Amino acid sequence: MAEPISEVVVVGGGIVGWSAAAALRRRLPAVRVTVVAYEPDPGALAERVVSTLPSAIGFHQDIGLTEQDYILNAGSVLRSGTRFTGWNGDAAPYVHAYAPHGQMLGGAHFHLAWIRARLEGCGGEAFDAYNMAAAAARQGLLVPPGADTGAAPAGAEFGLRIDPARYAYLLRAFALHLGAVERKAKPVDVTLRANDGFVESVRLDDGSEARGHLFIDCTGTAAAIRSRLGDKFEDWSRWLPCDRVAFAEAATAAEPSPLDEAVAMPAGWRWQSAGAETTSLGYVYASQHLSDGDAARALHEACGAEPGTPVTLRQGRRPEPWLRNCVAIGDAAVCLEPLEWTNLHLAHSAIDRIVSMMPDRGCAPVELWDYNRQCGAEADRVRDFLICHYAVSSQPEDPFWHTAAAAEPPASLALTLTQFRERGRLPFFEEETFSRDSWLAILLGQGLMPRRSDPLADAVPAVEARRAMEALRRAIDAALSKLPGQGAYLNHLARQSAR
Amino acid sequence: MSLPSNVNVIIVGGGTAGWMTAAALAKLLPTRCSVHLVESEAIGIVGVGEATLPHIRAFNERLGINEAEFMARTRATFKLGIEFSNWGAIGDSYIHPFGAYGRDRGELSFHQYWLRMRHEGRPVAALEDYSFACTLARLGRFGMPSTDPDDIASTFGYAYQFDATLFAPYLRDLAEGLGARRTEGRIVAVHRDGESGDVRSVELESGERIEGDLFVDCSGFVSLLLGKTLSEPFQDWSRWLPADRAVAMPCRTETALTPYTSAIAMESGWRWRIPLQHRTGNGYVYSSGFLADDKAAEALVGAVEGEAIADPRLLRFQAGRRERSWVGNCVGVGLASGFLEPLESTSIYLIQQAITALIELFPEREIAASDRDEFNRIIDLEYDRIRDFLILHYHATTRSDSPFWDYVRTMTVPDSLAEKIELFRRRGRVVKYREGVFLDASWIAVYLGQGIVPEGHDLRADAPPLGALERGAETLRAEIRAAAARMPDHLAQIARYCPMAA
Repeated sequence: MAEPISEVVVVGGGIVGWSAAAALRRRLPAVRVTVVAYEPDPGALAERVVSTLPSAIGFHQDIGLTEQDYILNAGSVLRSGTRFTGWNGDAAPYVHAYAPHGQMLGGAHFHLAWIRARLEGCGGEAFDAYNMAAAAARQGLLVPPGADTGAAPAGAEFGLRIDPARYAYLLRAFALHLGAVERKAKPVDVTLRANDGFVESVRLDDGSEARGHLFIDCTGTAAAIRSRLGDKFEDWSRWLPCDRVAFAEAATAAEPSPLDEAVAMPAGWRWQSAGAETTSLGYVYASQHLSDGDAARALHEACGAEPGTPVTLRQGRRPEPWLRNCVAIGDAAVCLEPLEWTNLHLAHSAIDRIVSMMPDRGCAPVELWDYNRQCGAEADRVRDFLICHYAVSSQPEDPFWHTAAAAEPPASLALTLTQFRERGRLPFFEEETFSRDSWLAILLGQGLMPRRSDPLADAVPAVEARRAMEALRRAIDAALSKLPGQGAYLNHLARQSAR
Repeated sequence: MSLPSNVNVIIVGGGTAGWMTAAALAKLLPTRCSVHLVESEAIGIVGVGEATLPHIRAFNERLGINEAEFMARTRATFKLGIEFSNWGAIGDSYIHPFGAYGRDRGELSFHQYWLRMRHEGRPVAALEDYSFACTLARLGRFGMPSTDPDDIASTFGYAYQFDATLFAPYLRDLAEGLGARRTEGRIVAVHRDGESGDVRSVELESGERIEGDLFVDCSGFVSLLLGKTLSEPFQDWSRWLPADRAVAMPCRTETALTPYTSAIAMESGWRWRIPLQHRTGNGYVYSSGFLADDKAAEALVGAVEGEAIADPRLLRFQAGRRERSWVGNCVGVGLASGFLEPLESTSIYLIQQAITALIELFPEREIAASDRDEFNRIIDLEYDRIRDFLILHYHATTRSDSPFWDYVRTMTVPDSLAEKIELFRRRGRVVKYREGVFLDASWIAVYLGQGIVPEGHDLRADAPPLGALERGAETLRAEIRAAAARMPDHLAQIARYCPMAA
């Protein structure tokens, strides 16, 4: 039998690198892990974007971190979703929360009943009004797991808003506790094996070398190790033209909202994500339409904070993140703007795959093919979800928005849009990150109306459907009074873990 | 907004496919379509005692079918899986269970821990012993799955073995009760629109013309509309699935009433055995290139266990599918759209998927191309994935006792399958699709049952201490044995729950 991998070198000492080290030590205890703790480049968004998807919670559970660790000790707060302002023309802001909209009505999904009511001209309220977590979040309230929401469907999931410095510190300490070995040095060169081009060692600036059977490149966009084996890159800028990210900070003034804010701007969009003490602000824009100076001024005008030097972004992915015995993860594998906060999610997901698909030292192409296929499918659908925000936006006057909306979408997104436009159906894709409810939140939130109503929804008598929708609204309103705000819930968690 | 149009649906053919389609449309889209089925009693249906997959329960439930009544009417038995004999090598036997190995709840599939114990040379029982469904099947017992997820008796599903010639009439009653119309008569001509090429009407022997907006071709192998009228090309898969004949012959049930279907590999194909309440269905699926029809019939007659009830009946077919299942205003459902041999009981499943997709994409009178294209995308995927799974059964063998087995053992398989096999062979990894019909346990059963033994295992299986793993496995096996022994005998369960009318 081929020899198992027992020595892994993680290059990059940021959140992604330490997360990989902790997961490997925890889940594959026979594997020794060395971390070359070199600071990833400032353009690595998975290291800097404070908001995460709900999948982060599962990642922490899998590696044995508790709420006490990753929320209370790391100074994180909880988030229910994002509020999008200005993405849907003059309509009111909409909320994308990680929670279901309504329940099945008859044999049809809730959104089909909602679409039917709209098409029949008796609209009811905005789509997100039928989402318990969205309604709660608008009032600063959370829907904790197991919360009593009466007749309204709960099932809400939380993402996190982390404090990147404290969070990286936690993961480093945890990985070291699990037995990962740290080497504080900078990689300066890579030695490839003559016969097969595998990475033999990484030479460090202290004159030493790091050797191993597998090298995980967490160095950020430069992909310092993986790029030495080849630099093929699939560029997505024709669909995602934003190529600058300006970061700023401000003190958090009030109780952190469960919602992140994503506000459409003339040449991109800006965010506001309130952490426990610091609020992260930023402007994502296309340099073709806006100068860095103007962007800084616009951000300052909007929220009073001075951004630092903007980060340059080239959106796209490596078609083969894993080649031979070197796998790139995080920004070294896929670069996307922070819209919908997928940067750390994609890194976590890659780490999960490395753990569960760990090959032997030969790194057989068929095993890497399977890994790359899954990572590719996942990244492509996340890309589609992000493009979708621009493709169905309605700001025809601004050249940036006009161009973004006019770009012909990738085939997979085109299929989603065609199917949705016809009758509100969403086709299934493998390795999809965002649920049906997430897609619906964006599509219906931005006002894309299907051409016709679905026959299955029509099979329910109209009066009955309308009554069910009204009942749901009342149930959501009734449940709100029982839900906690951010502060109250964090106190509850603290009390619980003190016991 | 204009009122939704009422679509006039004409179903051509009244076998299992036809009446399943009629009942589902009448039940689920009563306000959107009128259902009119045309069939001729002079044309037989192919249905030879049908074995099904667990998915059919969801279909029946959606139609509001009472399970016990349906089972009694169709003289059905319960099915926990399929026993494959003589496939990997003569003398082999394994069960493909409708259920998990172990509890299937941890982060890692049970077979990985099992592989590790084997790789470390520990004495470990057959994988089958760690499956509740397999154990229950081997004991000839059956009880309903527990709804308590902590109970080991919740780790399985089930399907039915029933008389397909009785299923269609059962659904006909249901469909007609829901307002579906039926016309008796042979179709002698199909009339098309000169401009669009769409089917406009079918003409009966009596001269009557039946017009419609949407035609569902359930005419079976004849493929009257899709194949004969619209000439949609057929993708031939016989280079991988060379069986093109079956000879069928029912007999009295004389041995135990097994809660599973048997698929016994033969010299030039395989033989099915499907026990129903009143009889046992038997048939020999073979390749005419390797075996003469009379030899096949002879082999079948020699192999059946009970007294024959009818003479052997011959069926001809070809593995493959139409390039598209929905062309113009005509949708093929069942054999009219493609054929895969009944090795894994997928015929009714494919009908069900086509109906589900048709309902989800139900068109207006003016059919949108996006509905049609999406339907075809979904159905093509289903066919292609089942195809790979079936090919695996033939290819993963050491048999070299006949030209037939020499051929399938050495043939080139599709790349999509070769990759899957290689990934399993390396470390027991199952390439699966969230939307695929067969779950991990199905692939694992066939791989291991037919001699594809992984060289390595998932490294995560090395995390727990070996001793704890062995004790856990032993506890699990004992728990399965004890829980299975508490379940009723299959025959007793049927007698109590769903006996056929005397």
